[in-house]
Amino acid sequence: MGANIYKNKKQLVFFLLPAFLFMIVYLYYPFFMNIINSFEKIGRLGTAPKGWNDPWYLNYVNMVTDKNMHTAMINTLIMMAVTIVGQVGIAIVLAILVDNIGRGARFFRTVYFFPIVISATALGLLFNLIFLYNKGMINQLMERLGATELMDWKAKGIALVTMMIPVMWQYVGFYFVILVTGLNNISEDLYEVASIDGATRWQRVRYITIPLLRNVMCTCAVLAVTGALKVFDLPWVMFPKGMPQGSTFLTGTYMYYHTIEAMNVDYGSAIAVVIVVLGIVTSKVVNAIFKEADY
Amino acid sequence: MRKKMVSVLLCTAMTASMLGAGALMVHAESVELNVVTTFAGEDSNSKNYQEGLAGWQEATGNTVNDNSATSDETFKTTVVSDFEMDAEPDVLFFFTGADANSFVEAGKVVSIEDIRAEYPDYAANIDDAKIPTSMVDGKAYAVPTNGYWEAMFVNKTVLEDCGVAMPDENYTWDQFMADCAVIKEKGYAPVAAALGNIPHYWWEYSIFNNQTDLAAHPTVPEADAADAWVNGMEDVKAMYEAGCFPENTLSATDDETFQLFTQDKAAFLLDGSWKVGGIVGACQSDPEDPSTLDTEALDRFDVTFVPSKNDVRKASDLIGGFSMGYYITAKAWEDPEKKDAAVDFVNYMTSDDMILKFAQHSASPLKEAPEADTSVMNSLQIKAIDFGAKVTSYTPAVQDNFQGECRVPTFDGMPNIVTGEVSAADAVAEGFAIYAESAE
Repeated sequence: MGANIYKNKKQLVFFLLPAFLFMIVYLYYPFFMNIINSFEKIGRLGTAPKGWNDPWYLNYVNMVTDKNMHTAMINTLIMMAVTIVGQVGIAIVLAILVDNIGRGARFFRTVYFFPIVISATALGLLFNLIFLYNKGMINQLMERLGATELMDWKAKGIALVTMMIPVMWQYVGFYFVILVTGLNNISEDLYEVASIDGATRWQRVRYITIPLLRNVMCTCAVLAVTGALKVFDLPWVMFPKGMPQGSTFLTGTYMYYHTIEAMNVDYGSAIAVVIVVLGIVTSKVVNAIFKEADY
Repeated sequence: MRKKMVSVLLCTAMTASMLGAGALMVHAESVELNVVTTFAGEDSNSKNYQEGLAGWQEATGNTVNDNSATSDETFKTTVVSDFEMDAEPDVLFFFTGADANSFVEAGKVVSIEDIRAEYPDYAANIDDAKIPTSMVDGKAYAVPTNGYWEAMFVNKTVLEDCGVAMPDENYTWDQFMADCAVIKEKGYAPVAAALGNIPHYWWEYSIFNNQTDLAAHPTVPEADAADAWVNGMEDVKAMYEAGCFPENTLSATDDETFQLFTQDKAAFLLDGSWKVGGIVGACQSDPEDPSTLDTEALDRFDVTFVPSKNDVRKASDLIGGFSMGYYITAKAWEDPEKKDAAVDFVNYMTSDDMILKFAQHSASPLKEAPEADTSVMNSLQIKAIDFGAKVTSYTPAVQDNFQGECRVPTFDGMPNIVTGEVSAADAVAEGFAIYAESAE
């Protein structure tokens, strides 16, 4: 009976078809239309195009000289680096530390994972209050410590750091849980043998844990980098319209800004195309760099 | 047998006709209107609107599928998209400026004139001179419930601490800048405004202050006749350089700078008549419960005139008027089941009683507006009514006609103008170029 199912491919096609149609209607067709929209003149979202741009690739030419687009691209690249170092890096350290403590490991797993279950919008509002200029949590603390002037944590020079701290903090727990699961798959026998051979705790981490965790770390790195391209909600809540002066735009927030706020849908569509291309290229590069090893 | 057959047939016919009539009655009684308004969230009239909805539904037996939402760019985009996709509501409370152009051009709303041809009493209590007309064809489509004005709110605690007198109807730009210098010297922010988020009010008044003809203000000028616009942007830059705005004006949201104002850290706030509700809310321990109002705290706030810069505009000449109203869509108008209900709904929501509730301290569009009942008002509303009595003229805002991407260089680009990264002339020219292109 089972063999018949595999021989008759028609049934498989029947079950694959709904998901395939769903993807066509809700992903590939809109994406194809988005490419066409990027060549047209479209003002507000939902309004009909007013013909083709002249030249039709105008938006892509404008993007080359658009300062905000440059800022958005650079910020997104910084965000990728920050996610690898800040999210995956911190998660590795935390995972190894928690794996090495005997009691309380479950408690720390819950504590570190908790930010994941809070919506990014709520976190954005929370960090807005923490970094608030007028009597925000940090400025109040600084006042208690003797600061005489309020610090604007969202000012142009420091805004990017203020934005990236909560984004980093939010996802550490996600990678932490993946890495802890990877650590649990490493046989205790290896550590026991190493101990008998006189390996110190650091040597066990360096020569057993990290090499055996490599594939999991690579998966985390790929997820982190591709995830960095999609970060939107928290930065938008904390820094709407790329405030101040467009210095906090990411490619995602810049696309949204043009589509909804600036009512320039065709330019927003062109940015969306660039984001997709950037995503494909980045994931290829990251996959090549963090290629999983066979043991 | 034959009699039995006849009686069975008769009974069947009667039952069928009763069911049919019943279905018709149920149908006639249960008209469901899809309504979209901006009376939601923190809008000071959202409670009045909900009461109105409940009252109309109870009186008529009809039901309303209400999809009201806070008025922002996302809301406007949703409304326009719905019209594009033939998913528009039956009745819409919306702006009458450039935001409405696309669906007016497409003939998707019915003019008041056409409605009155069949329903002569439609909006009969409203003063026609106060009904805003469309930019597309000059016809009136939307029935207003209340007007608005934009003026300067004052924190008297800050002013008194700085020894600055309450501005009056003769307030000049030079006096204002001198007052700002005194207030700043004392350690306060003179003006609560988030230039990187909501520069709209200063944008509007700075242009208004440089006009040589007030009547021309609501019209977007030709690109080569935009001196008032360029000079206006320069004035905002001068204010920024003089330290009139809070230190974080480029990175703050409007809510944050409003908080500076209500917490006695800023002296002036330029905003609309709807902000009265916001200030009152800030003086309540529970913003939803009027009984928790700290009346002494509210007494420390007032509203006054906006400084004038030349002899053309007096400080008491304000931006204001009627810019929103109830539309009936062609979709509802052409639906025989919904036509009557839609007309009745708008008549109910714009009846004298309802408008009295909605207009409160702002202008009333009624032909014969009765005296406002101040016994049910708070101190700031009463001050607003007294202030309104001294206003010499209301001029519609030009930004209502300057919508879309053309705003970006001078609205979102305001921080770049005030910091000198872009010149006011270049930013204005860029906005005009986009406006001209979109008008083609």
